[in-house]
Amino acid sequence: MKTFKLENEPKIEPGFKTPDHYFENFSIKMMKQLPVNEPKIISIFQKRKLLLMLTAAAILILALLIPILSPTKSNTKELDTVALENYITYQSNVNQYDLINGLETEDIEKINTSIVLEDETIEDHLSTNSNLENLILE
Amino acid sequence: MQEEQEFINQLLDSKTQNQAFQRLILDYQRPLYNHIRNIILNHDDTDDVLQNTFIKIFQHLKNFKGDSKLFSWMYRIATNEALTFIKQKSKRSGVSSETIQNKAIDNLEADVFFDGNEIQIKLQKAIALLPEKQRLVFKMKYFEELKYEAISEILGTSVGGLKASYHIAVKKIEAFVITN
Repeated sequence: MKTFKLENEPKIEPGFKTPDHYFENFSIKMMKQLPVNEPKIISIFQKRKLLLMLTAAAILILALLIPILSPTKSNTKELDTVALENYITYQSNVNQYDLINGLETEDIEKINTSIVLEDETIEDHLSTNSNLENLILE
Repeated sequence: MQEEQEFINQLLDSKTQNQAFQRLILDYQRPLYNHIRNIILNHDDTDDVLQNTFIKIFQHLKNFKGDSKLFSWMYRIATNEALTFIKQKSKRSGVSSETIQNKAIDNLEADVFFDGNEIQIKLQKAIALLPEKQRLVFKMKYFEELKYEAISEILGTSVGGLKASYHIAVKKIEAFVITN
């Protein structure tokens, strides 16, 4: 009976050949065919879009920074009138004598001219005021 | 392994890429040519497929994850390219892949780049009758003498499965040679 065992037979080669110098030339031929990595081109439209986005981002950042960069506290050293009046009214160590000492003659004259009192009003005041003697003494 | 990683880094670096790729071609052109030729049989078609294989390798190097060896990854690309080529050729011709394979075997005797004898042609005819997977396993093991572990990485089949496929393929080939 005819037998055939691959492992018992001498190795059977595929029997393929290549043209002369095929492998010597292949790498050169192959290197010429490789795709060139071109730099990425950004179109004008894309550039504009990018610029627009950057501008919007910058505006947003500036808007967010405004409260931090500009303090709300006033640096003025001038006192407003209401604060001054409240101070004088509620501070116990400031009395009428301190106020009188602080006034100049000009200031008193100005007060006199600005307050116009009628005689009847003065009479009423004097008749109801129990400290009339004290006032005369002062 | 570290040496391979360094080589891959050179392939990915635009400054060293060309030189490294030339080395890759010189190192792998012969084994990949033999692998593709064993599937396609014809030199001119093999030349086209080999060029496409290297272009694919070049284009997809950046996607190479290093999960398998570079060698296995390239063999996988070459195998896919060769099988796709046969399928496209059969589609264009309107015939089956088996018919394309048989025609390629018939043309071997007249092929100037084939110097095989009667037993070599008979072996090719016996291989052509095998299912695709067995055909691939037999060629990679018998002609290319690849280890089962390497074939397993390339084809994604277990070593046990490959051994079984090879054993069945050998039995079928021996039976064909005896009866023909």
